[in-house]
Formats: sequence, structure tokens, C-alpha cells
Amino acid sequence: MGDILGPALLGFFFGFALQKGGLSYYNKIVNVFRFTDLTVLKFMLTAIAVAMVGTFALSTAGLVALPAVPATYVVGNLVGGLIFGVGMAGAGF
Amino acid sequence: MLSLLKQKEWSPYLAGALLGLVYIFAIALLGVIPGASGAFENVAGLVATWVAPAVANNTYFKFVMPPGITWEVIALAGILVGAFVAAKLSGSFRVAAVPDSQWRRIFGPQVWKRWLAAFLGGIVIEYGAGIAGGCTSGLAVGGGLFLAPSAFIFMAGMFISGIPTALVVYRRRY
Repeated sequence: MGDILGPALLGFFFGFALQKGGLSYYNKIVNVFRFTDLTVLKFMLTAIAVAMVGTFALSTAGLVALPAVPATYVVGNLVGGLIFGVGMAGAGF
Repeated sequence: MLSLLKQKEWSPYLAGALLGLVYIFAIALLGVIPGASGAFENVAGLVATWVAPAVANNTYFKFVMPPGITWEVIALAGILVGAFVAAKLSGSFRVAAVPDSQWRRIFGPQVWKRWLAAFLGGIVIEYGAGIAGGCTSGLAVGGGLFLAPSAFIFMAGMFISGIPTALVVYRRRY
């Protein structure tokens, strides 16, 4: 049960935050690439900052074991990002 | 508190902070970094085990993205419910074939255009996320919080191609 409840709750609040942040709207996504609405950046960078402080505070206190950091392979990350950007700006996801 | 829940849209800083808490919760209690794109690959792999076992047995599904109903798939279902509840609370939930006024202004009201763009764009996004090793959530935010180089290379790539794409799509209306 815990195997289902944990991820389900994680998803619930994830979706809740995205919807309240306005990230489910086409115009919010595409306008970040037109620099007329920076909601996506404000949202993402705030999340990074909050998660960073919290995660490393807990880790420094010895309460949390850090998971594997997303692997860096420069060409793959870059080419993947380039392809991703086309879809994101084109469809507004 | 109740009026906050009923608000249609939060400040992106507040919503972003909530997302940050979700990441802390996931890392501390579940030992995972939240991601959205992986679920589609897990399910695709699961379908492949039924219709094309040889594909499901390749290196990618074997070692990178295991087929099956993983925690990511459950989280994806949760995302739909969470977003639905958030929209319902503020009374902004509605069913629409072409939801966005900006889209209609630029491309017209035709349903097929929006759905075709959504379908093809979805494929392109998922393909890019598969190569990069994650999407905006699993890689950009999930890696960014560790200051992982991969996250910032990915975000740079996203803008390097996203800006010209928007330029091409919007042309003089950019």
C-alpha cells in the first residue's frame, strides 16, 4: 500500500502545484520562449531553490540519503534538450 | 487558507515553492527524484513486452527504463487527479477541444490543428526527454537542485531550440 500511496500523493501535489502555477496552459509555456511571460522560469527556479535548501539541510542533518544525481553526458543532455525545446515551444507542454 | 485554495492562479513563486516541497518529500521519504516523462516510457515498454518482445528486450528498456507500472506511472495518475482538484477548487475546470485563446488567435479555432500539434509535440518532447535522461521535472528541476551539470546543459538546449521554434511559429507576431 505504501508503495502506491507515496507516489500517488507525490503526483497529486505535483499536479496541484503545476495547475495552480498556471503551467498547464499553452500560452504560459510558449511565452517563456517569446520572453513575454517568465512564469515557467520563476516557477522552476523557485522549486529548485526550495528543494535544494530543504534536501541539503536534511542531508547535512544526517536524516536523508541522497539519491543518484541525474547523470551528465554532455552530448546526450544537449541533443535531448534541443529536441525537447522544439516540442515544448511547438506544442506548449 | 480556503480562499487561497480557491484562487485560480497562484504566484509562480508560491506554486514553485510547493513544488520544491514535493521534491523534498519525494527525496526524503520515497528516495526518488520526481519525474513525469519516465512514466510514458515505462508504459511504452510494457506495451512492447506484449506486442514486440524483441523491442522490450533492448538495452534501453532493459537497463535504463524498465517496462511496467512503476512509481512514476502511479505518480502520473496522481498528477492528473491533483491538477483536476486544483482546477475544480477554483472553478476553472472545463472541457475544451482547443483550450487556449492565444492558440486560437494565432492558429485559428480548428480542432485538428491543436490536436495534431499536441500529438506530434508530445512525441518530440518524449523523444528528447528519453535521450537527455529526463524532462523539465526529472532532469531540469531534479538535477538542478543538485547543481548537476546535466540539468543546466539540458535547460540551455531547451532554450537554444525553443526560442527559434517560437520565432518560426509566431514569425512577425513574436
